[in-house]
Amino acid sequence: MSHEEFFEEISKAIIDLEEEKAMELAKKAIDNKMNVLEVIEKGFGIAIRRLGELWDAGEYFLPELMMGGLIVKKSIDLLLPHLDKEKDKFQLGKAVVATIEGDVHSIGKTIVATMLSAFGFQVYDLGEDVPPDKIIEEALEKEVDIIGVSSLLTTTMMGQKKLIELLKERGIRDKFKVILGGAPITKNWADECGADGYAPTAMEAVDLAKSLIGKGE
Amino acid sequence: MENECKPSYRLISDDQIQRIHKATLEILENIGVKISNDEGLELFRVYGCKIENENIVKIPASLVEDSIEKVPKSIDIFSRNGDLAMTLENRNSYYGLGTDLVYTYDLETGKTRESVLQDVINATIIADYCENIDFLASYALPHDVPTNTMYIECFKAEVENSPKPIFFTAAGKEDLSYIIKMAETVVGDEEQLKEKPFLIHYSEPLAPLTHSYGAINKLLLCAEKQIPICYIPTVLLGASGPVTLVGGITQANAEALSGIVLHQLKSKGAPIISGWGVVPLDMKATTYCYGSPELRLTNTAFADIYHYYKIPIWSIVGTDAHVLDQQAAMEHAFGTLLAALDGANLIHDIGYLGQGLLGNPAAIVMCDEIISYVKRIMRGFEINEETLGLDIIKKVGPGGNFLAEPHTLKHFRKELWMPKYANRENPDSWKDKGSIIYEEKVIKKAKEILQQHKPLPLSKDIINKLRDLAQEAENKLLNFKFSA
Repeated sequence: MSHEEFFEEISKAIIDLEEEKAMELAKKAIDNKMNVLEVIEKGFGIAIRRLGELWDAGEYFLPELMMGGLIVKKSIDLLLPHLDKEKDKFQLGKAVVATIEGDVHSIGKTIVATMLSAFGFQVYDLGEDVPPDKIIEEALEKEVDIIGVSSLLTTTMMGQKKLIELLKERGIRDKFKVILGGAPITKNWADECGADGYAPTAMEAVDLAKSLIGKGE
Repeated sequence: MENECKPSYRLISDDQIQRIHKATLEILENIGVKISNDEGLELFRVYGCKIENENIVKIPASLVEDSIEKVPKSIDIFSRNGDLAMTLENRNSYYGLGTDLVYTYDLETGKTRESVLQDVINATIIADYCENIDFLASYALPHDVPTNTMYIECFKAEVENSPKPIFFTAAGKEDLSYIIKMAETVVGDEEQLKEKPFLIHYSEPLAPLTHSYGAINKLLLCAEKQIPICYIPTVLLGASGPVTLVGGITQANAEALSGIVLHQLKSKGAPIISGWGVVPLDMKATTYCYGSPELRLTNTAFADIYHYYKIPIWSIVGTDAHVLDQQAAMEHAFGTLLAALDGANLIHDIGYLGQGLLGNPAAIVMCDEIISYVKRIMRGFEINEETLGLDIIKKVGPGGNFLAEPHTLKHFRKELWMPKYANRENPDSWKDKGSIIYEEKVIKKAKEILQQHKPLPLSKDIINKLRDLAQEAENKLLNFKFSA
């Protein structure tokens, strides 16, 4: 089988949402000592983009996107340890994501985390009800490019603003791109907080994150 | 099935139906109906009805009840190609257009003008495309063809541009004969058309309690030829019938049932779909109100009574709005939902605007989505181990999410309705994408359909034969004087 055929098989497994098949192909790539970076980029990377295209065309919906995203993430996790020093070259960037303190809603944040992972970000999902201090500590420790903060409740939205103020107080605002999300969040609110961006949907969040680190299409 | 949860609606109890039925029989037996047609009078006379001055026919209760028994409980309607398209029975609902709208909203100019034959073709192409539109009708009344052959031209335009069944009107039995001949030509011959009818004629008696010469001619011709017919009285509450809803209903029932008696006397077991439009006359605007709540109540009453009679049920949905605005959407949505909840079988006038005077091709697209929404409600849901989902609730557990679970993937497309045009975007995304309102979306879609959709064509040979028949009809009928 040529490499092209092998990559095509990966794409097909992802589009068909066949987890076992995708994992099997990832293992096969490792066993056959293929170029892991190439497998990630030309196999799984193209597969997730095709999934995104099916989403854009209205043929695939959230459950397919999430399941496909998770399969890609799991496959890449399997491949990553075999990357060695090439690892950094592959990663689009790093991000921490969290639902802000006082808010326990996870779905939207989890969708964004999954899609960012699938599209090549290394994502640290800190979960829900996370204080701004804690988010900043993690961002510094993991040396991320992007901080994504979600809030579903109007009562917890202030936490998003507080996080950005804290970054400013500590003189590290420029170290990160901060993006906001959540049902009540608007462009105006993101501007008022001094955030770098806001996206109303997960796929738009992926595009936003890519463009913020200069890797948009 | 006991595991299925499906909505339905009922207004009148069995006891109340009996009361209305008895009152109807009393009208027919003691007040009588006027029959302005010799063949009709003769049929009533032969079967024992009393005929009094001014051609008033008094119909005994036993004859009415016998006739109700004889009407087929189920009518199969086919496509032009002979595929089964609709089974009009029980609570099955099918949706389609209405006929003869004088004005049309022009998609290109954005202005309303007199309708032309191309509007009939356009409505047909759009109805062909829309998956929730089950049957066609002319929609527009063409002003650019000779008046005496316009119904023939409408039928020809429809049958050439879609295989879906056709609901149609005619001026008299003369043009009706040509339309039936055309339909026979399309499917092969008279026998094949009887076996697999793809057309339904629409004709009306005249309230109060009058059957005109022309209406009876059409009724009897359809009975003879076994062409399914809707024979539908219209009572204007407080004008051509009592202002009380149940008074209007009872009078209309007498008009509908006397039509059924005559139809069954002519041809026992011939297919007929019944209904009535018992409609308020707006006492200020002095107009017929399509979008009124009273029309919904009287239509529901019809459905309840005719489910009891086991006769297939006609219904009507439309709006009094002249443009595709909030009122148009409101009245179409209420009407469509209630007609479906009523369990009406043949729901027509979908996309009617302007009190039955005005059409807009984009209204058909909007109604396609309203019907789709209503169908989702009517489908309800099913309760079983799999749909209860205890296994998946256990697997995900407290605090997890169901998004990437096979259970979600397996069921979401069936369980969750997805709109084609209705907005589901977040306010910012909607604004980013141009703040497009619903009307703009369906107008754009209607234009797109007209540019791109290619309905299944008729064969050249049949098109030629239809053209010859239309020519023959024009030669014969151009100066003919139709009798009402």
